[in-house]
Amino acid sequence: MLLRGSGQHAGQTYDDRFAIDAKTDSGVPHARVLLDFAEACSALSADLADRREAVRNTLGEAALVDAAATIAIFQAVVKIADATGIPLEDAKAEISAAFRADLDLDAFVAE
Amino acid sequence: MPEIREDLGAAHARAWLRLAAPGAWQTGAEKVAIAAEARAALDCPACAQRKAALSPEQPIQAHAGPSGLDTALVDLIHRIRTDADRLTPAWFARVVPSILSVERYVETVGIIAEVTAVDSFMTAMGMPLWPLPAPLAGKLTGVRPKAAKLAGAWVPTVAPEDISTDDPEPVQAMYRNRSAANIHRALSLVPEAVNGFFDLDDAMYLPDALLRKFEEEPRAITHAQIELLAARVSALNRCLY
Repeated sequence: MLLRGSGQHAGQTYDDRFAIDAKTDSGVPHARVLLDFAEACSALSADLADRREAVRNTLGEAALVDAAATIAIFQAVVKIADATGIPLEDAKAEISAAFRADLDLDAFVAE
Repeated sequence: MPEIREDLGAAHARAWLRLAAPGAWQTGAEKVAIAAEARAALDCPACAQRKAALSPEQPIQAHAGPSGLDTALVDLIHRIRTDADRLTPAWFARVVPSILSVERYVETVGIIAEVTAVDSFMTAMGMPLWPLPAPLAGKLTGVRPKAAKLAGAWVPTVAPEDISTDDPEPVQAMYRNRSAANIHRALSLVPEAVNGFFDLDDAMYLPDALLRKFEEEPRAITHAQIELLAARVSALNRCLY
């Protein structure tokens, strides 16, 4: 939802299907190199060093640090959400209903 | 060695000081042992076995971990670290309060989250993990907000409007400069866990006040790039929230 807000501010429409299908062109600048890095970090895959260097070479050292920090804190945030069973707020659930249906995100709910 | 933002390095250092110090419900030694298990879970064959299993309830071999913690507590820590998206209310009801009190559970989640954040950052950067800190002695703070109640989450939480002026400072500070979103409330049964984790979050992600200030770009990547990463990592972890 914040990505949509960011897009509206920039006069852009970003395609948020990238969240579940990484091949989708989101329209966010340098998305491919950032998403590849996020996936390598999440999977601790053998190509992590290459993905890191791709971010460094494309966006620079400071951007690499901020990308790594964002990825890392969200690895943690999801654990807090999952382990405490917090619900999605009613207001967020309402405005994201179509978006969640499009991306089939409700399949992520704990039974 | 990569150049790390000064405020980011300082936030990580504060996280390690918090980890070493006595908490609300657990000693510094207990907290560091939890952190050690959370870290070890990534290389634990039993966790890999569970992650690959169709159901997380299938029997697995014993966990490989460094601490002398109770085996049921080790399983809880490893499961939150490596298979959190398959936690369920039924699982929660089995472990709390039989393995640990709900206050200790929430504090434990906060510890795992902070260690996950710092370790994941170092790994992403290709840097060695920080050694875990030596535990500090001292008294437990034992701050339990009197306004905590069950309100939709598995654990009791505190609504900002229920905080009164005579509550202790850690309670007062929980929602200072941040919204009452459920992710901020999630750990609110242990106010120090909220204040600690979101101190880290402010430095690693964005302070709450800047989340929607799209005209300001305080990081070396844009709001859109930050949210792209946040959304993808959340989806890879199968986290609806």
